[in-house]
Amino acid sequence: MTYMAIPNIGNYTIALATAVESLGIKAWASTATTPEALKLGIEAAPESVCLPLKAHLGHFIEADRAGVEYAFMINSVGTCRLRYYRHMIDQILKDLGLKIKIFGLGFDGFKPPIVRHFAPGPITFIKPLFHTVLKIKVIDELEVAAWRTRPIEITPGDTTRIMNKLLVELSESKTMAETRSIRKKVAGSFADIPVDKEKQPLKVGLVGEISFLRDKCLNKNIEYILGSQGIELKNFFLLGEELENITRIIFLNQSRRKSLFRITDRYLQNSVGGHALDSVANSIHCADEGYDGMIHLCPSGCMPEVSVRPILKRVSKDKDIPILEMSYDEHTCGVGIATRLEAFADVLMERRKCGAAAFRREKARRG
Amino acid sequence: MTIGTDHNFFRFITPAWLWKSTSPDHRSLRIGIPRMFFYYIYPGLWETFFSELGMEPIVSRPSTIKTVEKASQISETEHCLPNKLFDAHLAELVGKVDMVFVPRVLSTIKGHLSCPKFGPLPDAARADIARETKVLSIELDESRRPLSESLMLLGKQLKSQKSQIRSAINSSLRAMELAKNQPVRYLRKKEGLRFLLIGHPYVIHDNFIAGPILQKLEKMECEVELISFAKEAPVKSYILWSTANLIYHSMKTLSREEYDGVIQLTVFNCGCDSMMIDTYRSLMKEKNIPFMYLMVDEHLAQSGMDTRVEAFVDSLGWRP
Repeated sequence: MTYMAIPNIGNYTIALATAVESLGIKAWASTATTPEALKLGIEAAPESVCLPLKAHLGHFIEADRAGVEYAFMINSVGTCRLRYYRHMIDQILKDLGLKIKIFGLGFDGFKPPIVRHFAPGPITFIKPLFHTVLKIKVIDELEVAAWRTRPIEITPGDTTRIMNKLLVELSESKTMAETRSIRKKVAGSFADIPVDKEKQPLKVGLVGEISFLRDKCLNKNIEYILGSQGIELKNFFLLGEELENITRIIFLNQSRRKSLFRITDRYLQNSVGGHALDSVANSIHCADEGYDGMIHLCPSGCMPEVSVRPILKRVSKDKDIPILEMSYDEHTCGVGIATRLEAFADVLMERRKCGAAAFRREKARRG
Repeated sequence: MTIGTDHNFFRFITPAWLWKSTSPDHRSLRIGIPRMFFYYIYPGLWETFFSELGMEPIVSRPSTIKTVEKASQISETEHCLPNKLFDAHLAELVGKVDMVFVPRVLSTIKGHLSCPKFGPLPDAARADIARETKVLSIELDESRRPLSESLMLLGKQLKSQKSQIRSAINSSLRAMELAKNQPVRYLRKKEGLRFLLIGHPYVIHDNFIAGPILQKLEKMECEVELISFAKEAPVKSYILWSTANLIYHSMKTLSREEYDGVIQLTVFNCGCDSMMIDTYRSLMKEKNIPFMYLMVDEHLAQSGMDTRVEAFVDSLGWRP
């Protein structure tokens, strides 16, 4: 059986694995970068490149050691370092003498080289792709449900358990009918979790670089830490939404940038690259929506995300919303992250109390 | 309907000399130019352009250790060193000038891109350091419109007359060509070793970053040449960053006879260089030219630099 290593984007890797099966091969993947892979990547990569490259590289080296022959990567057309990832990873793997072959995917024609190489039949190719889209939708729903339930669950860990169970079922599902039945189950399973309905959790938005928003190993499981602190969060990278945007750009020629520029009006008038514009726009949007705080994640030295930080600081001051800036490198420790997040949660809680108290005082004064 | 005498309509239909003396509003306008990024990317252009338009360009002083100290206090901690220095230069100008000039340099060569950090530069200046001053900005995107057209728009933003802007563009572009073509060499002795210093223009020309290394090499009686950016647009390659591609192509044509060694000067946290160092190094290995890269950060110590440069120069002497 031929295997193909796929880059990991959190839980969505499950859906991507289905897409790879459309080529008549099996996927070699994990939903989080393993520490061993990260170690391999750090050893092989130049020291000052950003962490996602090291994670990718380590993943591919590990795959090669396991005997995987192929791998695929997203070709980026952006302005940041991601654009050169494929070339660089190719070079490094060649220097290391590894045989794994990497295909690029995205923005290169109707029939990308990866499809040309494996030449699958039309029906075996199209059907799994629809299945992939369906799976992505289900994972989107799962994520959203988990953010809502986790902060108010009575027994800690319930949500994570249910979610993992459903994800395992999803990864084992082979037909679209099975996936559809799982999709029907999602709402029910999360509703069965005993929750504290009185509790009003804090609301926090998560913005920043995508691999850090998605990869549990790289971001030190930030979603779980925040959830168990009693914070309801919204992670601004959902692959389903992202795909919808891409389709809209391709077929309807509707760029989302225009609407983002309308939001970031006097703060930012340039799509910097990466997801920097989204970060700023979403921060402003959340401030207007009445979120309690924002968390901005990026790898240390990330070119687009770091360069918009002064703007985020201004947004934070103007709109009166706390924005926590977190940057990760290979020495970042999970305990340190947890401490910072706990402190941030405490600050937000106090702010809410003060705000609520001030609001009540105001109300009493007016009679 | 009444039209005020300062209305643009009159300006267009009357000869230019009538207006020159009667427009005091931008005769004495002081425009601050931070001595970083675009000042070095377009050498000599901005001073000539603004002074031709009858304004007073004020360039911040060359960076020193004081600038760096200031930078580390006011700037975002994770910026690259030039960006931090830029913030310090900007802070030096704020308060002394009527407006600061921060363009959005998106691309300097057609079909290429600049560092993504240049994109939000004016916005970041407006948000943080130059909040109390007016920020003059213009989008410089060579892929969309040539430099002269961008300059025209900039002149219109400053409400100058068309003829005046046109002559200012001509003379400023000429000044830039002159400044770019001037070979920058530090020559001491004819028998000494010859080195080529490569890096971003704002890195190899900066007083704080490149100064100590150039001084050291001069002291060791070596000849140093800074890489020239006056060449025509390079052939497209997989590298889309304009500076990196230019360096890549000029390094391809290097030969062992021309230079005894190549020194790359990079700065801490520079994203472009972090991807390119390996490419340059392997290219130099193929050509059998000694290569060294020096990384500069805020804590640059002369002694550390001296040791590395000395070791490199000494090791060249032992080469067969």
